[in-house]
Amino acid sequence: MTNVAGTPLDSFRAELDRLQRDAAAALDDCNSAAALEEARVEFAGARSGRLKAAQKMLGGLDAADKPGGGRLFNEAKAAVTMLLETAQSRLAQGDDEVEPVDVTLPGEAVPLGHLHPVTLTIRRVQEIMGRLGFESVDGPEVEDQWHNFEALAISPEHPARDPLDNFYLSVARSADPLLLRSQTSTVQIRVMESRDPPLRIVSLGRVYRPDTADATHYPMFHQVEGLLVEPGTTMAHLKSVLRMFASCFLGGDVHVRFRPSFFPFTEPSVEVDMEWGGRWVEMGGAGMIDPAVLEAVGYDPDAVTGFAFGLGVERIAARRYGVDDIRDFYRNDVRFLRQF
Amino acid sequence: MIISASWLADYVQVPATTPQLVERLAMAGLNHESTTRVGDDEAMELEVTSNRPDCLGHIGVAREAAVLFGRPLSIPDPRPIEGGPNAADHVSLQIESPEICPFYSARVIRSVRVGPSPSWLVDRLRTVGVVSVNNVVDVTNYVMLESGQPLHAFDLAKLRGGRIVVRRATPGEPFVAINHKTYTLDERMCVIADGVGPVALAGVMGGADSEITGETVDVVIESAQFAPLPVRAAARSLVLASGSSYRFERGPDPAMVDWASRRAAAMILELAGGVLDRGAVTAGDLACSPAVIRLTPERVSEVLGVDVSDERQGNILRPLGFTLQSGPGHFWRAPTWRRDCVREIDLVEEIARIEGYEHVPENMTIAARPVELSPREIAIRQVGELLVGQGFCEAMTRSVVDIPLSDLASPWGDTAPLVISPPLVRGADRLRRSLLPSLFEARGGNVAVGVYDANLFEIARAYLVRATQAAADSGPVEEPLLATFVTGGDFFKAKGIADAILARLGGAAGDDGLTYRPLECDLFTRGRAAEILRETAGKPAYRVGVVGELSRATRERFGLNDAVAAAELRLDHLVDLVARERRLVRPAEFPAVDRDINLVVEEGVAWGDLEKAIRTAAGDLLDSCRVAQIWRDADRLGVDKKSLVVALRLRSTTGTLTGDDAARLIDVIVAECGRHCGATLRG
Repeated sequence: MTNVAGTPLDSFRAELDRLQRDAAAALDDCNSAAALEEARVEFAGARSGRLKAAQKMLGGLDAADKPGGGRLFNEAKAAVTMLLETAQSRLAQGDDEVEPVDVTLPGEAVPLGHLHPVTLTIRRVQEIMGRLGFESVDGPEVEDQWHNFEALAISPEHPARDPLDNFYLSVARSADPLLLRSQTSTVQIRVMESRDPPLRIVSLGRVYRPDTADATHYPMFHQVEGLLVEPGTTMAHLKSVLRMFASCFLGGDVHVRFRPSFFPFTEPSVEVDMEWGGRWVEMGGAGMIDPAVLEAVGYDPDAVTGFAFGLGVERIAARRYGVDDIRDFYRNDVRFLRQF
Repeated sequence: MIISASWLADYVQVPATTPQLVERLAMAGLNHESTTRVGDDEAMELEVTSNRPDCLGHIGVAREAAVLFGRPLSIPDPRPIEGGPNAADHVSLQIESPEICPFYSARVIRSVRVGPSPSWLVDRLRTVGVVSVNNVVDVTNYVMLESGQPLHAFDLAKLRGGRIVVRRATPGEPFVAINHKTYTLDERMCVIADGVGPVALAGVMGGADSEITGETVDVVIESAQFAPLPVRAAARSLVLASGSSYRFERGPDPAMVDWASRRAAAMILELAGGVLDRGAVTAGDLACSPAVIRLTPERVSEVLGVDVSDERQGNILRPLGFTLQSGPGHFWRAPTWRRDCVREIDLVEEIARIEGYEHVPENMTIAARPVELSPREIAIRQVGELLVGQGFCEAMTRSVVDIPLSDLASPWGDTAPLVISPPLVRGADRLRRSLLPSLFEARGGNVAVGVYDANLFEIARAYLVRATQAAADSGPVEEPLLATFVTGGDFFKAKGIADAILARLGGAAGDDGLTYRPLECDLFTRGRAAEILRETAGKPAYRVGVVGELSRATRERFGLNDAVAAAELRLDHLVDLVARERRLVRPAEFPAVDRDINLVVEEGVAWGDLEKAIRTAAGDLLDSCRVAQIWRDADRLGVDKKSLVVALRLRSTTGTLTGDDAARLIDVIVAECGRHCGATLRG
């Protein structure tokens, strides 16, 4: 790197480069306090150190170059100081005589991110069900009549299909209008259509129902639905699986209670209560898969039986975390999100 | 359904307290909402599922209680004295639309004295939340709440022409209901008309013109069957639900049509006097065809996992109203009030709920079955974990947005957004095509409450109309899975995170055909945005992500004052990276040689091209290369030139590189950079 142009600034720059390289070489190698002091005097000595010498060169620069030169000098000085400190602290390791620090001062802050409480709840369900052999599956949110209704034994006259109770897409496909799915059972239909039993799956995701948003309702929410299809499956298996889930999710030896209910795609259908905080809490719906549903997906209802259950994620998350307004889950206020 | 405790006792004597009764009913399918004391009575509010219209009357609930407590059920058999002339001689009746009204009956009572109801009737109605009107109207309400069969009473004098015609409404036909509001009907709805116009909206509400008043002398009692759909269409679209429409939507017991008519007539004669015409005027055929169902007794334990003896099965089904048919096999005829029971599984459920689910064991073992997370699920978790590790919070924004948000540019094409009806929330009826605007809005919302460092991410779907017909065969809507984040900082802040995501998934920019290219997008500052392209074998390069600094306009729109950058990745097009096999590449055994080279190029030359030239030239001998410094100096480099100091690390896998080897390789690299990018070495 010869100095062809030969301006004072170039030679100043060259000297600073050299100085830094030499300092790095000397300080990286030094392994005693004496060598460190020697190097300190050579580079940063107040009277005849090389930095001092370089500083004097500043005076010889063209007036226009002086600010730039000053900046270069400051950078070089900072670099040398850093090298000295690094060497010092390296040598000081194991030395009992270092300056103590105030250990009550905060450490360097590391930003902590947070998963959404709804995600945390879904993950926990997935984890527990995974250990019971249920595989997590996912499917489209925009659905057709077959998957959202017909295959689930919801007839065209059923009130659940009323346009006012669903979010229909206004694209012109009148023969088979599309809609935002109103339950994740649609995914179970899709999986059953493409795979043969035995089957254990949990489907999860967003579902949509036209409810006016209030503290306990939101028109978009999350569902987790489990499905098991294996020969010889009975309601006793359903109850046992839910009890294992409840014991794991809530902790302790939790019992579950079934109350008769009605859903188009299961029969018998039950509401599932679990003991939580000393009382029965309604956790979701369940039942044996209706033979009509098994037939719709091409299974033989005489050969296999199965059960299904569904849980409302927001409701569980709200109870688990003490959230009294489920709209908070969708406000995306980080003062809320950072608590989970 | 609100049930009066004292009223229920008319039909069954239950050896239990009210709390015990509601608990037992709840465990058999009638969920208990609340019990309230009303005067000397108790009102039990029970939730009746839509398959059980039989429990929308006191008799149906009494039947359940009778079965559950093993007590007899006593239902009155009303036989009112018919002292008048033939009803059919004075009222003509015609059904024009049998598909929406299969059967209609009318009884006529003459010379009634309309007046207040006796206190016992007023009290019972009050217990179940019904306000007393007069003795005739109260009787129709009472009998509906008793039997589940809705009734309606007309003033015969107001039926013009003495005619009753059941027909579809004509489009735009006006109707003034008992509430004195005028409704505009359409042809989906069914009306009861006289010789002139509608006097009742069938199954929903009576008309103001023909209502029973203090002046009414002769009364017509309607008891009919209406199909659920026209009743629902009317109740929903006119927002005019009633106890009658609620029941017709679910299907009352056909056997109660005549019973309720006789019961009402008998009660009116008793409470309001008058003379009943002989017979009922009827039209149509009562739709009533209870199913005959074969039940294999073993089926019960196959479904429930509990043994219920043959005998016990019969002892449950018989009191519920099922009758065993004679002959071989177990064929049961369902009662008229249980039209929901048509299949074997329906009988199994009946047996299960009466026997009680507490008998179902809860300690079965289930066989172990190994499962794995799908690559998609793994990708979602990897991205989430990485971003959480970088201090991001996970947001959940609505899938459906308003028009202004929807109108912002989407990186995923400019096909029109899909629209839903009704809107998800007020004003929001567009399925979103990108998550970016939603996250900008969420960050802006945080700024508005004084939080300026809301770094947010979301992993969710967007919704796109499939562009081509061929693609439309796999469904008209494509739902790309997007991983999107918004962060304070500049382009390189966001790009660094995007790179980290790609690397964590198993790819890396530069490798795997992932490249960055300048992007013009309205959301981002011109010159500070890029698209990420992916090239896979046999396919033209396609966009898998965008990254950029928000433009001033975008920031202002969302109330973001500081520099903000964002990126959106199509996770569904990156999932395969996760599934790739990892094979060990043994760390190099030989030492590396580090060399910095200072290349001067035209301003317009991109580092990406320079890097490509370096990689091509160095081949396997290049361990790594990075830009250490970029500087510009018009005086010393020339106008529109820049200098890049490139730190190279060279290494051979087969031996130690000498200084000469390195020098020769540098020459080759510089030459390649010169050839492809016009670069010169600055000494």
